[in-house]
Amino acid sequence: MRTSQALRHLIGPIELLHEQAGPGLLRLTRLGIVALWIGKLLLDPLWRLAEIPRELISPVGLLALLPATAVDQLLTPSCLTAFLVLTLFVLILCLTNRAFHLTSTVAAILLTIYSSLIRSFGPAVHTDIVPLLAVSVLAGFAWADYFQVKFGGGKPSQSKTWSSFPLVTIVTILCLSYTLVGLNRMLSGGIHVFTGDTMEVWAVDASLRGYYFNTNIGWHVPEWPLVTLMLRLGLPFITLFEMTALLCLVSSHYRWIFIPTMLSFHLLSLVFMNIFFFDDMFLYLLLIDWSRRYPILSAR
Amino acid sequence: MSKAARTPLRLHPAIAVTAICFCIALLIWKLSFADPHPIPFSITGQACLLIALLLAFRYWPPMIRWVTRMPIAHRVIFALLIGGMIAGHFTLNTRKYFPLVAWEIFPVAREEDPVLCREMIATTASGKNVRLLVEQLIPSIVQFDLPANPDATERLIRVLAKIYNQKHADDPVQQVDLMVMAVKLHPSTNESRTQPSCELLKHYDISSAR
Repeated sequence: MRTSQALRHLIGPIELLHEQAGPGLLRLTRLGIVALWIGKLLLDPLWRLAEIPRELISPVGLLALLPATAVDQLLTPSCLTAFLVLTLFVLILCLTNRAFHLTSTVAAILLTIYSSLIRSFGPAVHTDIVPLLAVSVLAGFAWADYFQVKFGGGKPSQSKTWSSFPLVTIVTILCLSYTLVGLNRMLSGGIHVFTGDTMEVWAVDASLRGYYFNTNIGWHVPEWPLVTLMLRLGLPFITLFEMTALLCLVSSHYRWIFIPTMLSFHLLSLVFMNIFFFDDMFLYLLLIDWSRRYPILSAR
Repeated sequence: MSKAARTPLRLHPAIAVTAICFCIALLIWKLSFADPHPIPFSITGQACLLIALLLAFRYWPPMIRWVTRMPIAHRVIFALLIGGMIAGHFTLNTRKYFPLVAWEIFPVAREEDPVLCREMIATTASGKNVRLLVEQLIPSIVQFDLPANPDATERLIRVLAKIYNQKHADDPVQQVDLMVMAVKLHPSTNESRTQPSCELLKHYDISSAR
C-alpha cells in the first residue's frame, strides 16, 4: 500500500498540459512566437546572401519549385532587403491581432520561404523548424476558429475554450520533434552510436567547423577523459529523454526533469559543438502549465 | 425469426494498426529500391514505436476528452499538422519537403580518426591572422559546407574577404590560406595536442585581385 502511494506520489498528477488554457495565454503565445521571429529577422543581414556565388545554391523546399530565374531575381540585395522588410511588416501586423488568420497565414508562407532560403546554401539544419511550424499552427487554428464561428454554428463565446487547441498542438510538435530524433538515432544509428567515438567525432568536427558561435573548445574533448566520459554516457541518457519527450504533455513531474536535462544538453551543445538551439529553448516556456498557476490565463 | 439487433460499425484499433503497418510496409518496399536505400528494419522499428506511442495517447481519457471537445475544423488542422510532420520524417529527406523534414541529429556512428576540416585563415595588412567563417560573415546561413570545386572555393574566399574588409577597412585582409586541420582522437603519447595539425592546401592573394 505504501509502495503504491509512494509510486503515485513520484509519478505525480497525470493531466493534459494546457487543457484549461484561455485566450490570455494564447495571446501571449502568439506575441512571444511572433516577437521571436521579429527579433531573429532584425538581427539578420539577409541581403549579404546575394554575394555568395550562385553555383553554391541548392534550393530547399518551396524554393526548389520556383524557376531558376525567379530564384536568381530573389537573390539580389534589393530583392532580399525588400523581402526582409515585407516579412517584418507582416509579422508586425500579426501583433495587432486583426484578421490574424490572414496575416499569420501570409507570415507562415513568408517565413517558410525565408527558412528555405537560408538553408539553400548548406545542410538543412533543424534550428528554428519548430518555431516555424508553430506559426503554421497559429495560422491553421485561426482559420479553424474563423470557419467554426462563421459556418460551423460555433458561438464566439465558445472560442474561449478553443485556446488550448493550438497550444497543445505546438507542444506536441515540439515534443514529437525530439521523439523522432531519438527514435531515429536509436534505430538508424544502432548501438554503435552509443559505444564508439561518435560523440568525440561530432564535437571535434563541429568545433573545427566553427559556425556563428565559436567557442573553440570542442576539439580539445579527446584530451579530457572526464568530458569524453560525460559525452558518451550523456548520449544514451539524452536519447531516452528525447524518445519519451511526449510524456511532457501529460506529466508535470516528468516536465520538471525534462526541462533542466534538455536545457543542460543544449547548453553543452553550445559549449562543445557551437550549436545553439535558442528557438527551441524559448518554446520550453510552453512546457509550463501557466493556466493552472495563474487563473487569469485559464478559460474558466 | 427475429432480426438480430444491429450494432454500429466500429473500426477495431487492431485493424487500424494493421492498415497503418501495411502502408508503412509498402512505403518501405518502395524506398528499398531508392539509392541510397534505407534500412527497412530501422524504419519499421521507428514506425512501430511511434504507433505504440500514438496509440497510448489515443486511448488516454484526457486526450479523448480534449479531442472530442474539438470542432471538426480544428480536428482537421490538428491531424494535418501532426500527420504532415510524421509523414515528413518518413520521407527520409531533409530538403525536398521542408519544413516537413526527416528529424536526424547525430543519427549515425562516426569513427573517423583523425577528424579533418578545411578552414580559411586570412592574414590582414597588420599581419594578424583571422579565421573567415561563412556563418559569422553571413549570419543568415546557419551551417555551411565548403565546396569541393576549387573555382567556387576561390570565388567564395574573395566574397568573404570583401565582406570582412567592409567591416575592417583599417586592417583589410590581404591573403587567405586554405588549410586542412586535423585532430587525432587517439594520438600517440609523444604527439603535441596544443593545436590541431594543419596543412596548406592553397594560398590566395586577395590584395592583387582588386
